[in-house]
Amino acid sequence: MAENGYASLMDPAPERAKRGAFFFLTLFASIVFAMWDLARFLWGGTGVPSTLNMGVGIGLTVLMLISLVPVFGAQRKLNQGDDKGILSSMGALLVVAVIMICGIVYSWTSLPISSGYGGIYDITTGWFLLHFVAAILAFLATIMKGSRTPERAKRERWVSYNVLMYWGGMVVLWVVFFGIFYLA
Amino acid sequence: MATNEMQAQALNETGGGKTSFAISMLFPLFRATLWGLTGYFAAAWITAALLGSVIVNPLPATVGYIVGLVGWLMGSGLWEGWIRRAFGGAEAPAYTGVERYFRFGPDSKSTAVRYVVFNVVAFFFAGLAAMAIRVELLTPDSTGWWMSTIHYNMTFGIHGLMMLLAVAASVIVGGVGYYLVPLMLGVRNVVFPKLLGLSWWLLPPAAFAVFMSPTIGGFQTGWWGYPPLAQNSGSGIVFYVLGAATLLTASVLGAINIAGTMVYMRAKGMSLGRVPIFVWGLFAASTILIVEAPATFTGALMDLSDMILGSHFYTGPTGHPLAYMDQFWFLFHPEVYVFALPAFAIWLEILPAAAKRPLFARNWAIAGLVGVSMLGAMLGVHHYFTAVSPARMPIFMTFTETVSIPTGFIYLSAIGTLWGGRLKINAAVLLVLMAMMNFLVGGLTGIFNADVPADLQLHNTYWVVAHFHYTILGAVIFTWIAALYWWFPKVTGRKINEFWGKFHAWWFFVFFNCTFFPMFIAGIEGMNRRIAIYLPYLHGINLFISISAFLLGAGFLIPLANLVYSWRRGEKAEPNPWGSKGLEWQIKSPTPYIPFPEGTEPEVVGPNDNYAAGSKEPFVWVSTPSK
Repeated sequence: MAENGYASLMDPAPERAKRGAFFFLTLFASIVFAMWDLARFLWGGTGVPSTLNMGVGIGLTVLMLISLVPVFGAQRKLNQGDDKGILSSMGALLVVAVIMICGIVYSWTSLPISSGYGGIYDITTGWFLLHFVAAILAFLATIMKGSRTPERAKRERWVSYNVLMYWGGMVVLWVVFFGIFYLA
Repeated sequence: MATNEMQAQALNETGGGKTSFAISMLFPLFRATLWGLTGYFAAAWITAALLGSVIVNPLPATVGYIVGLVGWLMGSGLWEGWIRRAFGGAEAPAYTGVERYFRFGPDSKSTAVRYVVFNVVAFFFAGLAAMAIRVELLTPDSTGWWMSTIHYNMTFGIHGLMMLLAVAASVIVGGVGYYLVPLMLGVRNVVFPKLLGLSWWLLPPAAFAVFMSPTIGGFQTGWWGYPPLAQNSGSGIVFYVLGAATLLTASVLGAINIAGTMVYMRAKGMSLGRVPIFVWGLFAASTILIVEAPATFTGALMDLSDMILGSHFYTGPTGHPLAYMDQFWFLFHPEVYVFALPAFAIWLEILPAAAKRPLFARNWAIAGLVGVSMLGAMLGVHHYFTAVSPARMPIFMTFTETVSIPTGFIYLSAIGTLWGGRLKINAAVLLVLMAMMNFLVGGLTGIFNADVPADLQLHNTYWVVAHFHYTILGAVIFTWIAALYWWFPKVTGRKINEFWGKFHAWWFFVFFNCTFFPMFIAGIEGMNRRIAIYLPYLHGINLFISISAFLLGAGFLIPLANLVYSWRRGEKAEPNPWGSKGLEWQIKSPTPYIPFPEGTEPEVVGPNDNYAAGSKEPFVWVSTPSK
């Protein structure tokens, strides 16, 4: 069994490739969300049920928009080469993700899944929930890696960029979701 | 083969640990199996106990599958090879010897070899299902002594799904593509090596679950899984849905790597026009998967949600069962291009080297590959003309028939390459030529399927079965075996046995046509597909088809034996046995763990298919950084 001197040689993609190719992954995920969004009108009709909690929806959407502040802040720090400086922003985003999960689960209580709108709302937000869980794991990994092995985090800065891009994508998808499920 | 001294050096200094096989290397595989099965049964039983239910019900089976999948992945080495490190934990050692074939890892070459092994195993078992189907059809009604109608339905459903998603979807993209993409593009590995490694480890549990679906009640829908029947004919559909979604996920992870590597990691000097045609074929297939898989993926999850969560997407008061068909075919028609485009591209990769002629109309061929992938998104409706309004029929008929234009570019490119060339026919080239003939039959009969008046007659008959077997078995599987033969020296350093290769090719060609051509006739004469019994006037033709099918099935053991024997004892191959100018052949064979050493990289300086006498080498080796 050889030592791990080969690892970096056998992962030759430069940062540009790692960040660029991540686009294909986000494209796939975004089209999945687009499918749910389109399906809302097929199964949910054009009306919004009175039991839909508009206040929670607005609150979560505002929170997502505000979460762009730490995203842009962390991105600026990464651009300046401050890998340690992003950890607090990642922590803040982790808290946002936990709040989003709580909000989604709370919204489920007032919408029966067996109804047309409830079914499509629940499966879409369920899909969001899975992505928020993934985001929590990603933030946790970034924070732990950055504090335990800062050199590795510096060498693999593309991971932090992609985590931030992932969250930025989630914000866009959530805002589209809000427009389609709450306003349209 | 060395183009300059630096290349000679590059070829001689590519190391990597050399280890011989030891039984302890199988530990991750055993651990994965143990954790997977334990996870499945523990989670299913606990869920069933909490619900006061039994483990064969949809919800316990779903929870069991998910926990089992996670257990399998963790056991395979995902934790120490990826996750632990990602959280700042200890770094796993790089496994460079034979042990890398048996555990999760980032090496694309061993991943590709695992793909070949998986495809062969899946092909074997799905092929046995095909044999069982043909035994059933030996007589007009075999339900009394062979399979009941219920078992027959399960068998052809498993055969279809496994042949498509566990074999055709990954034989060329996985086993051949993942090996060759980095080498052809002049890089040591793909853009996300661990994601590619993960893609293989998703396959075995998914395929195993589908094969095991009869143990929890099976499914009666065939590989389509159409609701509402899907939700009312056995819990096995849960394994169908989860297995298909897992296999699709694996395909998408590979597609992301192919697209990302081609777009961002080409060797210096490799403009898009100089990208090897096989990589173009894979890229076209990858775009289909990334853009169109979501529709089918969501359909599968919505169907599952109906069964385990109580939603009503496809049944009940708010159900729209026809929506499933739209979602399903939005990917699964273009999915056949995911199978076929890489096969076409392999023809165009092999033929120039075999005929020693440049690829004719190269840019048109690229346009053909990309054109088919783009048109493919717009024609899934032709699979259910019998279920749509007349307004949709001419639109989708027109789109479908338009596909023959870019496909024609590909054929013309192949014919133009052969024209006037001195073709050296070995077993691989022979199989390519046969695949071209078979696909021609499959493609031309497809026009009748696409034509609405003809389709309304031919729909659900054996004509359709014959058509798609000509395209998938006749073209894709023929080409897969051709590719295994052609690149065998690259992977093993040895050649296959040419006599048995050619013998098998003819055996295969004759009995393939004897099996499937009569199905066109049976279809026109009124033989329904997916029905266990048929009227006695069709007995003679079905007897002929079944006997041919048994001989065809037995014939698959020939290439299997040839590959295994040649791997151990085949004739040693010279570094570039076919005299190809492809970049992959400029690297040492068998490919070392590090394909070319640190500080060296290839630079493209000319077209890789210029076989004119005295033409210069298309690649040189330069120092890194080369700029």
